[in-house]
Amino acid sequence: MDIATDQPSADLAVIALTGELDGSNFEQVIGAGRAARDGGASRIVLDLAGLTYMGSSGLVAIHSIALLLHGQEPTSPEDGWQAIHDIGTGAAADDAPALVLAGPPPAVHRVLDRSGMLSLFPVHADREAAVAAASA
Amino acid sequence: MPDPQADAEVAPPVSITIQAGVDHLAAVRAFVRASAIPAGADAETVADLVQAVDELVCNVVEHGYAGRPGSVEVAFVPSADRLAFRIRDDAPPFDPTAVPEPPLDRPLERRHLGGMGVHLARTLTDEFSHRILPTGGNEVTVRKLLRTATEGTPDGHRDRPTKR
Repeated sequence: MDIATDQPSADLAVIALTGELDGSNFEQVIGAGRAARDGGASRIVLDLAGLTYMGSSGLVAIHSIALLLHGQEPTSPEDGWQAIHDIGTGAAADDAPALVLAGPPPAVHRVLDRSGMLSLFPVHADREAAVAAASA
Repeated sequence: MPDPQADAEVAPPVSITIQAGVDHLAAVRAFVRASAIPAGADAETVADLVQAVDELVCNVVEHGYAGRPGSVEVAFVPSADRLAFRIRDDAPPFDPTAVPEPPLDRPLERRHLGGMGVHLARTLTDEFSHRILPTGGNEVTVRKLLRTATEGTPDGHRDRPTKR
């Protein structure tokens, strides 16, 4: 899997994933999200259009980046996040969503749907629409 | 428990054995694709089986062996109307079919995703079973009705009995 990060504006990063996202590399995606946040991004577009596979490890990565953008540290998925504070507080305090997903291919979209993730994050057809939504 | 006589096997099982490590998951997925596509399965059936087997093998590696050395064997067992993949390990006994459904409607900060892989394996397949091998390891089998790109499911049913 390849990870390419672009920062079109000071507080917005676009992280594009290409290839297969699985248990061997999801932590690299979390690392890219952390680096973007540390570089000043308060909003991230995760461009999934180039993914040919996404396992449930990818859901952990998406979830973890959302938590990072809200000023929280992801913990092990086995531990749960019961102790974590309200996600409404943190870096992105205004109306624009902190994490926006772009262009999931059908198989990836299905994983997001069956895991309940579609109701948690805005999903846009392509990168341009997602960037526009995150910049609103 | 799968009955070995339930399906009249039309081809001998073919298998791949990997060492327990997440770096080998891609080889497992490639094996599933290389098995299911020539059997005539449509794209969605192939994708579902790839996902189910990947999630289950990943669970064996991460939780069954939990960093200890070991191996995982994945075998393809086709029959006339369904495709099965059988996953065997030597890890401590663990029945993924007994993992409870994850709460999909909880707020984000209350969720945990540990059971999500098993949830996907369960919902993406038509049958999902586990047994303890006589040697002490685990055998997990997933089956999916053979739905081909041209003719649909035999008997026209795509229902997933006992799911959800």
